[in-house]
Amino acid sequence: MSERERLLRQISIIDFAIIELHMFLDTHPNDTNAATKLDEYQIKSQALTKEYESKFGPLSASDRNSNRWAWISNPWPWDNTDEGVKKINVGL
Amino acid sequence: MWVYEKKLEYPINITKTNAKLAKMIITQYGGPDGELGASLRYLSQRYTMPYPELKAILTDIGTEELAHLEMVGAIVYQLTKNLTLKEIKDAGFETYYVDHTTGIYPAAASGHPFSASVLQSKGDPITDLHENLAAEQKARTTYDNILRFCDDPDVKDPIEFLRAREVVHYQRFGEGLRILTDKLNSKNFYAFNPSFDKKCNNRP
Repeated sequence: MSERERLLRQISIIDFAIIELHMFLDTHPNDTNAATKLDEYQIKSQALTKEYESKFGPLSASDRNSNRWAWISNPWPWDNTDEGVKKINVGL
Repeated sequence: MWVYEKKLEYPINITKTNAKLAKMIITQYGGPDGELGASLRYLSQRYTMPYPELKAILTDIGTEELAHLEMVGAIVYQLTKNLTLKEIKDAGFETYYVDHTTGIYPAAASGHPFSASVLQSKGDPITDLHENLAAEQKARTTYDNILRFCDDPDVKDPIEFLRAREVVHYQRFGEGLRILTDKLNSKNFYAFNPSFDKKCNNRP
């Protein structure tokens, strides 16, 4: 697994917790424990996303990354990656 | 509105193609209990939901279903990459191939194209939430049926993730239904439409 994939994996783990807590709070808006946890994960996600985007390009169109080439560059989410095996050009 | 994130909700990296499996899994893209129907169902029903918790839960689950649609598309795409004509024939994939090559098309396992007739938006929150509870269970059963044919961990793993999400969504819809009935007159839960018959909205 490449550094890009490892970092993306970490973001996916944190972002999944965010999806789950956010949805839980829809039907449990008074649960302060869940709300605190959500805040914690959001801070973690922001830091990791910032790190990822500075190295590998934007994860969403709203991110302030002016490098349009990094947005269009492969891999797209459905692409197979063999980055662990072969080095690919990512730091555009 | 929506903002696209250039990543999957759960990672998918399938290295072994399997057209036979792809033929089954495509049903969760555009079949009767698939992710496209799920997202359209919830995102359409949410407009007439009477309480904010319900508007939120339908918006958020409907949005997650779009992420699942993308995942199922990625699974089918990777399962059918670089197929040879012999592999297509051996897998019985030629009926799909002749119409779509290996493009991702919303259809059921039977080949029947996606139809909005697989979903309902009734404008009655009790009716709609019950439909959604059933829909989550139908999707869960479909994933269980798919899992019986999966022996590749690269495929099994994301399918098991999708299956688990159906169970969580069922739980959230159940809570949504309880939030709704808690606000209604208990004598009239199933006799009126709380979004239309205004007088039954309040508890006695």
